[in-house]
Amino acid sequence: MVRGSRLRQIGWAICIGVVFAGFMLLTFRVNAVKSEVVRAEREIVVLEREKLAMETEFETRANQQQLADWNAIEFGYASPRADQFLETERQLASFSAPRAADSPPPIRFAREMEASDYPALVSPLAEHDKAGDGEPDKVAAPAQGEARIALASFD
Amino acid sequence: MASIPIDSMVAAGPLRVANKRLESLLVARMRALLLMPAFGLIAVVALLRIASFGVLGAPDTPMSMEQRLLPPRGEITDRNGLPLARNYDAFALWFNPAAMKDGGSPLVHTPAEVAAKLAAIFPELDRADVAERLASGKAQYLRRRLLPEEANQVFEIGEPALELPAEKERFYPQGSMAAHVLGYVKDGKGYLGMEAVLDDRLTDERLRGQPSAISLDLRVQGALEDELRKGMLSVNARGAAGVVLDVDTGEVVALASLPAFDPNDVKPTDLIGTKEQRRLKQPSNSFNSVTYQVYELGSTFKPITIASAIDAGVVRDLGVRYDAKPVKVAGRTLADSHSLGDTLNVPEALIHSSNTVTARVADKLGGDKLRDTMRSLGLDERPYIELPARGQPLWPGEHWSRITTMTVSYGHGIAVTPLHLASAYAALVNGGIWRPATLLKVEPGTEVKGRRVFKEDTSARMRQLLRMVAVYGTGRSADAPGYRVGGKTGSAEKPSAHGYRKKSLVSTFAAAFPMDDPRYVVIAMLDEPQGTTASSYQRTAAWNAAPIVGKLIPRIGPMLDVRPDLSRDVDISDLRPLIRSDIE
Repeated sequence: MVRGSRLRQIGWAICIGVVFAGFMLLTFRVNAVKSEVVRAEREIVVLEREKLAMETEFETRANQQQLADWNAIEFGYASPRADQFLETERQLASFSAPRAADSPPPIRFAREMEASDYPALVSPLAEHDKAGDGEPDKVAAPAQGEARIALASFD
Repeated sequence: MASIPIDSMVAAGPLRVANKRLESLLVARMRALLLMPAFGLIAVVALLRIASFGVLGAPDTPMSMEQRLLPPRGEITDRNGLPLARNYDAFALWFNPAAMKDGGSPLVHTPAEVAAKLAAIFPELDRADVAERLASGKAQYLRRRLLPEEANQVFEIGEPALELPAEKERFYPQGSMAAHVLGYVKDGKGYLGMEAVLDDRLTDERLRGQPSAISLDLRVQGALEDELRKGMLSVNARGAAGVVLDVDTGEVVALASLPAFDPNDVKPTDLIGTKEQRRLKQPSNSFNSVTYQVYELGSTFKPITIASAIDAGVVRDLGVRYDAKPVKVAGRTLADSHSLGDTLNVPEALIHSSNTVTARVADKLGGDKLRDTMRSLGLDERPYIELPARGQPLWPGEHWSRITTMTVSYGHGIAVTPLHLASAYAALVNGGIWRPATLLKVEPGTEVKGRRVFKEDTSARMRQLLRMVAVYGTGRSADAPGYRVGGKTGSAEKPSAHGYRKKSLVSTFAAAFPMDDPRYVVIAMLDEPQGTTASSYQRTAAWNAAPIVGKLIPRIGPMLDVRPDLSRDVDISDLRPLIRSDIE
């Protein structure tokens, strides 16, 4: 009886000890994270101020008056004329003229192959396919291809 | 050393030796007993300290991150959020003679040597003056607002007495741009412009973290000032003023008054005027000529008179011809600057800016009606704007005589600010609604209701007429292709003690664009332009103010989302046949 009670007491003590140790460990950990947050906040403040300073310096060096002076002396850019603006895609498309008879071939751009671009599958075992002219059948190019070439050509 | 105790031990016998050993053992134990708690105490204190760190966390910083990032004064931005005024940690150069703390000379080198080194970094410093100030041994600022690289150079001089404190300064990245709108800050208080108007908001702890957006567009403001400055210099004008106003909301998108001042470095002469300005009784650079100075704006008033007459039904048929010969009234003769023929109709009168026809139309309309129109356009009271500098118009009173009505009809005998004119033109073209001008950003859908001054169709008629002035009349050099500009010139002689001065003019161009669906009113004004080669030796607005608008609109149009389009315009086909081709 006495032995059991002593054992139980020791058990409780160990239990409490373990829980307390765990609690302390957790508290220490929490506060370590907290102080890391405080340090990060300080860093944020320093960086924010630095950002503000650099942004302000940039704004100052590139102020409107300075830009106008540079433009007057160095670049001489003028505001765009009315005919340099395009209202719609239709207006853009109107610039593409049909190809003349003697114009050089249009520049072609590489593009991803679509399913319809691949030649039709030919089985080497199928006898009746050999009866053809040997060339695999090509699926007709999409009709839109023509318009695309006309737009992309630089002739 | 060891031989002595052995001798004594031999002399005193074994008991004494044992006694002695016991005694020293006791002393040693006592000492250890005293020392151990002391060490223990230190260890416990250290552990407690660690535990307190662990349990309570790191000591709180005096300010939270939010507090430390909160600016001492709120930022002012333009309508797109670009900074116009902000706080900036600028280095100052402070001379602290007590820095050495040894009671000797405050400087390592001689004052003259240090002054020479400082002058090498800052060419504008006066070497002799700086040397004298360093020798005086008084703590003082030697310079403010150093660039970081300059601060490094000062640091390299190696003088502990030259301190570089980082100070919170109000800083205007755009320099003198929009100075009259922004104002300046001195000792934490705002003066003159929006710094004064928004002072409470900018210093309020709860609000100053958020930037205050005003209605200006920084890019448009830059373009307006650039074009005004160029125009002003090319004709040797004394000053220039300009405003760009949104016709539907009353927002001031740009407002410039030249000459300007730099709010980063406000000098006393900016406020009270230079000696030259005071001698000539001219306003100082801080004087806002858009909102405070009143001018007789001349012919730019004619469209207002015509609109009032159309609105009242006095002018119904625009083809009716009026006598254009000089008017004799009350012992005075009102004439045109040059004869335009015996008769003119209303479109022709506007295109060629005829005083006589406008006066006759006003006479037919009557003083009361013209007065009521002008009053509902707010021309009898200070302009509506947040700025503290608002000029009181010179209003010809309640009862207008015939001659007053006639002269007011073409902008004489009444003096208003350019901002008054901008608001009136906005009402003229936007469908007839007058709204107060504002420098605060108006969110879409929250614009002021305003008051109706003209009927919708009167406004449509005015859009046609103003467009015709820019296409066929005095405003041709303002007609930027594709922007459908419409507007009216005004060249008024300045009054003096001895009547009007023929050679001192105020040239104004009041415009709106695009005329088929007006979005913005643009006013450009030059004070006393001279006839130079740039203006073909002319002083009138067609030669100096109108070209400014013509160059400005293509610059600001795309910024304000107005695309030029050569295929669109106001339909003026019904009025076109009314203009005689011979005087075109």
